[in-house]
Amino acid sequence: MARLEISSVSKAFGATRPADGLSLAVEPGEIVAVFGPSGSGKTVLLRMIAGMFEPDSGDITVGGRSIVGAPPERRGIGMAFQNFALFPHMTARDNIASGLRASGSDVANRVAAISKLLKIEHVLGHAPRELSNGQKQRTALARALIGNPDVLLLDDPLRNVDAKLRYEMRLELPNLLRRGTAAVLYVTQDYREAMAIADRIAVLIDGRLVQVATPADIYAQPASVAIARLFGDPTINLAEVSPVAEHGMLTTDVAGARMRLGAADGLAFPGACWLGVRPEDLVVSSASADDAIPARILAITPMHEKAVLLLRLADGTEWLAALPPDAPQGVADDSVFVRFAPDAAMLFDRATGLRIGQTHRLKAA
Amino acid sequence: MEHSSLAGRIFRGIALTLILIFFMFPIVWIFMMSFQNNDQILRIPPRILFEPTLANYEALISGQLRTAAGSLQMPFMRNLFNSVVLSSAAVLLALLLGVPAAYAFARFKFRLGETIAFTLLSFRFAPPLLVLLPLSLYYQELGLSDTYFGIVWVYQLIALPLILWIVRGYFEDISPDIEHAYRLAGHSWREAFTRIAVPLAGPGIAAAGLLSFIFCWNNFVFALILASADKQPVTVGALAFVTASGIQYGQIAAAIVLSVTPTLLLALYAQRYLVEGLSLGAVKG
Amino acid sequence: MDMLELRGIDKVYQSRGKPPVHAVRALDMAVEKGEIVALLGSSGCGKTSTLRMIAGFEDVSAGSIALGGRRIHELPPARRKVAMAFEGYSLYPPLTVRENIAFALKSAQLSRSEVTRRVDEIARLVEIEDILDSYPRAISGGQQQRVSLARALVRDADLYLLDEPMGQLEPQLRAVLRGRIKSLLAERGMTAIFVTHDQTEASALADRIAVMEGGVLQQFASEKELKSKPANLFVASFIGEPPMNLLDASVARSDGGFRLSVGTDMHFDISGAGLDSEATKALAGTPQVRIGIRPQKIAVGTGAVRVKVVSNQWLGDQSHVAGDCNGRMLIAVTPGRVAARPGDIVPFALEPRHLHIFGSNETCIRHAEVS
Repeated sequence: MARLEISSVSKAFGATRPADGLSLAVEPGEIVAVFGPSGSGKTVLLRMIAGMFEPDSGDITVGGRSIVGAPPERRGIGMAFQNFALFPHMTARDNIASGLRASGSDVANRVAAISKLLKIEHVLGHAPRELSNGQKQRTALARALIGNPDVLLLDDPLRNVDAKLRYEMRLELPNLLRRGTAAVLYVTQDYREAMAIADRIAVLIDGRLVQVATPADIYAQPASVAIARLFGDPTINLAEVSPVAEHGMLTTDVAGARMRLGAADGLAFPGACWLGVRPEDLVVSSASADDAIPARILAITPMHEKAVLLLRLADGTEWLAALPPDAPQGVADDSVFVRFAPDAAMLFDRATGLRIGQTHRLKAA
Repeated sequence: MEHSSLAGRIFRGIALTLILIFFMFPIVWIFMMSFQNNDQILRIPPRILFEPTLANYEALISGQLRTAAGSLQMPFMRNLFNSVVLSSAAVLLALLLGVPAAYAFARFKFRLGETIAFTLLSFRFAPPLLVLLPLSLYYQELGLSDTYFGIVWVYQLIALPLILWIVRGYFEDISPDIEHAYRLAGHSWREAFTRIAVPLAGPGIAAAGLLSFIFCWNNFVFALILASADKQPVTVGALAFVTASGIQYGQIAAAIVLSVTPTLLLALYAQRYLVEGLSLGAVKG
Repeated sequence: MDMLELRGIDKVYQSRGKPPVHAVRALDMAVEKGEIVALLGSSGCGKTSTLRMIAGFEDVSAGSIALGGRRIHELPPARRKVAMAFEGYSLYPPLTVRENIAFALKSAQLSRSEVTRRVDEIARLVEIEDILDSYPRAISGGQQQRVSLARALVRDADLYLLDEPMGQLEPQLRAVLRGRIKSLLAERGMTAIFVTHDQTEASALADRIAVMEGGVLQQFASEKELKSKPANLFVASFIGEPPMNLLDASVARSDGGFRLSVGTDMHFDISGAGLDSEATKALAGTPQVRIGIRPQKIAVGTGAVRVKVVSNQWLGDQSHVAGDCNGRMLIAVTPGRVAARPGDIVPFALEPRHLHIFGSNETCIRHAEVS
């Protein structure tokens, strides 16, 4: 039972700063996903915790004890790598057992127990090159888990397994990881994986943690436009708007239509904004209305049991709408009208990218 | 895409046979010469069929060289023994020093790292004759000349750069994550080196060791200057075959066969590793 | 008219000392002019071999390929009028992005201004205008892939071959680019075949999808048909995300139809009225079938099947609920949030009309009704 705490950790390689004052605490038994675009510093963070290199400044503690400067083998950390990093000259069994310092029958029992849990008992005698990618990943996970480490680091462990297996593991992993009391940091580039597996998500962009919150909160209340764009497939739609308050209601012009954006009370006057609306929150119909944006369908592409419409709004902006499969979709080149509910709209300050009206939206939700 | 017609295959077969004959002929000829006496060898036209004799081998093993002018003492077996001792010791020392060094060059970026590695390689650029004179003076001063240790040391000039550069390439090919994983599992860096890195670079180490053994074995100049008769390897010892009364071709051939045998056996044994090591070293180093 | 016709294509890789590898078997496929076709399958299914045979980088072991009425399988790649975008980008390092794209137009002998116009146009489409003067090594993998795509699409060709065209793209860009490329291909009536292992990509871009497995074409149909009328168990379980729930069921006659039972606690009554004669015969002749139901077709919160929740994951726009029903795992996907925690007992509704039924030889006996 040990808490992992990262306090104002920074690291620079020449001109790039993959870690810029990172602070994050992970409780025992908690899974925190570190999510961000490639090159945002996720892997560097894990490697600093694992001791492959040291931070330039800041501290990392496990159970209150600083581990900065300690050699990797004394940090009490288990890690699973994206490329598996199995020892090619050892069998799966020896790979897993290498995670234990002890020897004797105790080792055999524990290897048997963990491999049963991960369903790889039948391949324990195989060399890594004889395993499928899925089995390799399970072996690597078993090796990381077997020593009951205080801290478990998973570096995009499902990156190299096929879609079906990835889905299975997405269901299985949270239960597996919560069996122990390790503080888990899970790096991924797939927002769905992060949302499915983690208790909290730490969004890392350009070496900074820009938001740490539960999956549902991040999706519904992204702190900035950059975060909003990272969560959601298809990506959130954006439009440049300058909303005004009218009779206590915030409204704006979007491609020629007057759209209502919810109550204006308690909001500082926003000025130039990004309007963000998630594709699944758009309603497309053939009937015109005052609060409907005229658009033309450019293409219809099915996706995840939904129909994704690529729309060109009257002012040339391209938006995507994700409709349920049973909704009427129209055909390419149709003229349609797009609407959204006021509380589906998100506003972001165009200068800073930060979301406007956080408190207000929290009240509404 | 494979376009293999019958004619193409026949042509390829003939071409391969010709090349094989071209390269194998000298070796086969020498092997045959070692079983003939001087008269048979010098007969014109030469004959494929002859009556084999073991006289050459007898002479070499007993150390009694019979020439037209009479008999001559020649410690050939002693030379062969020296060759084995010197080459093995030199390679062993080079492995002990070179493998950890190669690991360091592959894994750690340190100041002047590349410069040092290149300097070590540059020992191979300089013609040995250039350094021989100062070297022999130093050796005499230090009392190293005509000692096994002295020769083994100077052989490091040959073996060390080779091992360093080939093995370094192999270490660079191992994903560092594999070692990280081993260390996180609770093992020190020394264990990660001996249990993970060295076994995985095994083929490279074997190939590099074999190559440097061959190069040490074939060395002539260093041993000629720095070793006296009882420390001489075969390469130098073979000079004795050129006598005042002529050249003993049969004995030379037998000596060649005997001195080639150990390296040939070693090379055949490790052929797979050797080719791999050569190509990998060429690309990586 | 059929633009591309593959007839009885076989590909066997032979290497000495190893058994021959049959990468593609008896492949028949016809692609219409202006159609976009995806070759979909997991690695080693033969899709890339097929693409490379059409491009001319591999010989066919048997069979013929015709493009626009010309037999092309004996022609060298350059004379097949085929444009290809490679998975490994394969950009020329000493040329800028603009020169790389323009290079593809060299043989067309266009005026300089025409070349510039076309390059600019395609660059705008795949959003690489601002890197046109960069060199390949200075741009990201995703950008290189877009350049490679642009270089293939800028050419005039009878057929466009794209190998994993969007595998490296940033997810934020993917959905938009799919739409744009699809509308570009449709607008110009371009015929295209692309290889992918990602069914999201296949269904988003393609008019028809050829599902391959073990070198054999399993089914060649629209995405809709693959989902609603899978030809066999493989296609049914391969297509759809998350994969279809599959259960073993025993078959018994009931008045006017059949009763399928999963264990002792799940029963489905299939009315004989909805079955054609062949399906009736098949069901009457087998004691055991496999039934499949799509996760999206299972309703959560109502129904007779009680499951113990194993996981409940909210992905922002949908919930994935995995439940255990007497040792059998069922996955349901619903659009809203579900208030259930692991360990809770929750009802699932599985309706008989949503069941796909598969016989012992893995062929489909009955498809689910299309709602």
